[in-house]
Amino acid sequence: MAELNTNKTARQYTVRYRGRCSQLGIYLGKLLRMFVYQNDWKVIPMSALIAGLVGMVTRIECFLNMEGTLFGSFAMTCVCIWNGCFNSIQVICRERDVIKREHRSGMHISTYVFSHMLYQALLCLAQTAVTLYVTEWVGVPYPKEGLITPYFMVDFGISMFLITYASDMLSLWVSALAHNTTTAMTIMPFVLIFQLVFSGGMLPLPEWTEPLTHFTISNPGLKVLAAQSDTNSRPYATIANMISKMRDNEIGGTVTVGQVLDLLQDKDNSAIQELRAKEIGKVFSLGELKEMLDQSVTFEAFQKEQILGDMTVQDVLRFVMESEQFQKERTTALPGSNVTLGDVLQSVMDSEDLQPVTSFQLTHLTTVGDVLNAIDAKGLLEKYKDVNVGGTFTVGEAVDMLAGNGDVQARRDTEITVKTSLGKAIDIIGEEKVKSFLEEKAAAASYNPNFEYTEENVIGYWLHLTMFVFAFAFLATITLEFIDKDRR
Amino acid sequence: MDKVIQILCLILFDGTSALAIISKGLLIIGIWRLLQKSGLKGWWALIPGAREYQLSRCAGREPEGRVLSVITIAMLLISIVAEFIIPIRIDNMSEEAAIEAALTRLMILSIITIPLIFTHFIYNIRVWSGLINVYGLPKKWLWLCLIDYTRIIPALLWGFSKKYQPEWQVEDIKAEMERLATSGSAAVMDDGLTVNLEERTATEFFHKKTLLRDIHMAIPQGHMVLLLGGSGAGKTTYLNAINGYEKAKAEVMLNGNNMYTQYKKMQHEVGFVPQSEMMRGKDTVINTLLDAAKLRLPKDVSGKQRRERVDEVMDIFGLKPVKNNLVEKLSGGQKKRLSISIEFISNPSLFILDEPDSGLDGVMARELFVQLRKIADTGKIIIVITHTPDRVIDLFDDVIVLAKDSARTGRLAYYGSIQDARTFFQRDTMEQIVKSVNRKEEGGDGMADDYVLKYAEVQHG
Repeated sequence: MAELNTNKTARQYTVRYRGRCSQLGIYLGKLLRMFVYQNDWKVIPMSALIAGLVGMVTRIECFLNMEGTLFGSFAMTCVCIWNGCFNSIQVICRERDVIKREHRSGMHISTYVFSHMLYQALLCLAQTAVTLYVTEWVGVPYPKEGLITPYFMVDFGISMFLITYASDMLSLWVSALAHNTTTAMTIMPFVLIFQLVFSGGMLPLPEWTEPLTHFTISNPGLKVLAAQSDTNSRPYATIANMISKMRDNEIGGTVTVGQVLDLLQDKDNSAIQELRAKEIGKVFSLGELKEMLDQSVTFEAFQKEQILGDMTVQDVLRFVMESEQFQKERTTALPGSNVTLGDVLQSVMDSEDLQPVTSFQLTHLTTVGDVLNAIDAKGLLEKYKDVNVGGTFTVGEAVDMLAGNGDVQARRDTEITVKTSLGKAIDIIGEEKVKSFLEEKAAAASYNPNFEYTEENVIGYWLHLTMFVFAFAFLATITLEFIDKDRR
Repeated sequence: MDKVIQILCLILFDGTSALAIISKGLLIIGIWRLLQKSGLKGWWALIPGAREYQLSRCAGREPEGRVLSVITIAMLLISIVAEFIIPIRIDNMSEEAAIEAALTRLMILSIITIPLIFTHFIYNIRVWSGLINVYGLPKKWLWLCLIDYTRIIPALLWGFSKKYQPEWQVEDIKAEMERLATSGSAAVMDDGLTVNLEERTATEFFHKKTLLRDIHMAIPQGHMVLLLGGSGAGKTTYLNAINGYEKAKAEVMLNGNNMYTQYKKMQHEVGFVPQSEMMRGKDTVINTLLDAAKLRLPKDVSGKQRRERVDEVMDIFGLKPVKNNLVEKLSGGQKKRLSISIEFISNPSLFILDEPDSGLDGVMARELFVQLRKIADTGKIIIVITHTPDRVIDLFDDVIVLAKDSARTGRLAYYGSIQDARTFFQRDTMEQIVKSVNRKEEGGDGMADDYVLKYAEVQHG
């Protein structure tokens, strides 16, 4: 038997065995061998496969709009948590008996856990790199510029690594708690469900569950990825997309004149402002107006509307002429001519030719058509067919004119029933404008301060995740220190 | 004051309603009597948690009783907490908001309580099913034992009727321990192992268990010792106490050095080979041994010396031909030899093997023991547990016989040479010796107490 320099004396032992640091090499070497022999290497291609599948789903809208980016961040968080958890869930419990034996032979638990920390860090780093590469390869449109470093991929990679690593350490702790692989794999789904449900980003949670989100890796994980992706400044596309799909849906309802006027005068609304600037109207003759009315089906139907009268036409005209509201309009010239409204009415009232008409008794039910026939509206239009009226003006001017009109203002509460399709309503303003307006407004409403694109935010989440790494590693060490208490 | 009474009612009767108090009160009376019938103090029935545990002892379902006890206490705490926190109302809170808040708190507590209630139900069935066995009753009684309200009937009936008697009682350990008390000590040897173990105890819930007691012996260097004993006699506990891994109230001296006070420095003086292999199957033989050498050999041993030592150990145990094989690919015998080699790397003075021949055929087992004999002849002490001792008994010098006495404590029934053991027990084979000290319900002769007292008498007069 070879002579060993154990330096033992009968009464006093001065032998020194390997301490924590020098034992580290033994376990690191062992773990690296396990990577090859125990098939631990399989987690790397597995992460590539998961990344490929998730990347194919998220690439369409990730980094393009708010929802896509948020969903992409959540999916990436899930990928990282999944990778991390399955890296280490069995590593301790599968060799619990061996650990117990080696602990008995002088192995330091802290060294053992630390060797796992180093080994798992390498594994997580490799998985992060593979995940980033594969997702970019399948077409996830990663931005180029980073917030902390010059490269987005590096920033994003650090976050993904920390999420994976923190989950890995959580799993390591579960593995230290469980006495066998069956128990560990039974606990694992609960851990994953807890992480996903209480991530606090995707699923609406009751208020009382809010504190629970502080104990999940998914919460800072999702926040850091969403913040780095600048989620807040991405457009919110869902509402606009939904509206586009609903173009044929009929819409309708009752609005007041006042609501319509207020909407059309909204100075903060860019879409309305553009509408107001739109030029409408043209110079046309009364002959053209007559022709248009003759061809109008609506006007024809309007003529059949019944109205009730109990005075002469002359009385009606006088009443109008003397009304307070009309005084303001009396001298207003008709657009494009020198003829005033007052002049027109006065000439009608004074006209002897029209005497039979103005003396017409409106004491019974009649139709609009009858009234128009009575005043020989068509004849009048024919007579003045060469008089040009109208002119170019903007929608804004028309609206302002109406808003300035006392009669219109007095009818602010008058209800108007509107019935049209959503598409037609949108087309009035322009679909693209409605879409960008809705995206802008919805994004502003969905603004989340947790996703703010700032360095402080990102570094804060990194520290949070790092804290999880050390906390779970510490818990794993403490738990394993009690391995001697296992029941035989 | 009302609150205090409420809480007391909750603790004692699990509720504050008249129905809860009456039903739980009747159940407690019944359990009081059941505990008394099994030889335990009846007043344990008044203490929630302890009540369930003591009842489980009567039922012979102690592990279930421990779980049941913890769950009972947890549920009790939750109900007390609920009593306080559910009605909390913050100032200026509207009626609706207060109800909403109370419901939320109730929901949180329910989420925690529902799994506990289910577990409580299952473990209660296990314990009461044990009681049905102890009272020798048909299984249909279990229908009455499902919930507290119906349990009142069996509890009162079995407790008060003379017709129902338990088949066995929870022993009066204290009296038995006094009856079987022995004393003595072994003189410390400069070259060898001296064990003076007064007791090794473990506290479990509401009582202290003595696992081992009064074991004194001195084993000289170069002896190969057989450790015999029935299951539960404390063989592994004794070995763990010897090497200092699980400390007992004892003095263990190896070659004049105290194993307990110098445990860290001396831990590689003892090689403990566990019953199962406990090695990484996916590692190679050579790497397993090299790592073992790094861990077990002193820091100043050079790499060259380490490799030489590994080579030497592989030679001794015939592992060289398979040195590059994965551990999982080795045969049963090779795995055993590798497991022994791992401990032998540090060249320990005391070598303990827990059933090294399990899973080996007679020829391979004999080869292994011959190997161990050779090691012992180099001046090592070897202690071996085996369940098939007679095929290799000629290789041993001494035998230790541990037995579980009537207080269920591991005791030393004999330590000495093989030949003297045959005379002491008046048995020809080691298997017959084990049978003589095993309890009757385990198929033995139930003579453990007699041999424990006889051996103490022989040793110390």
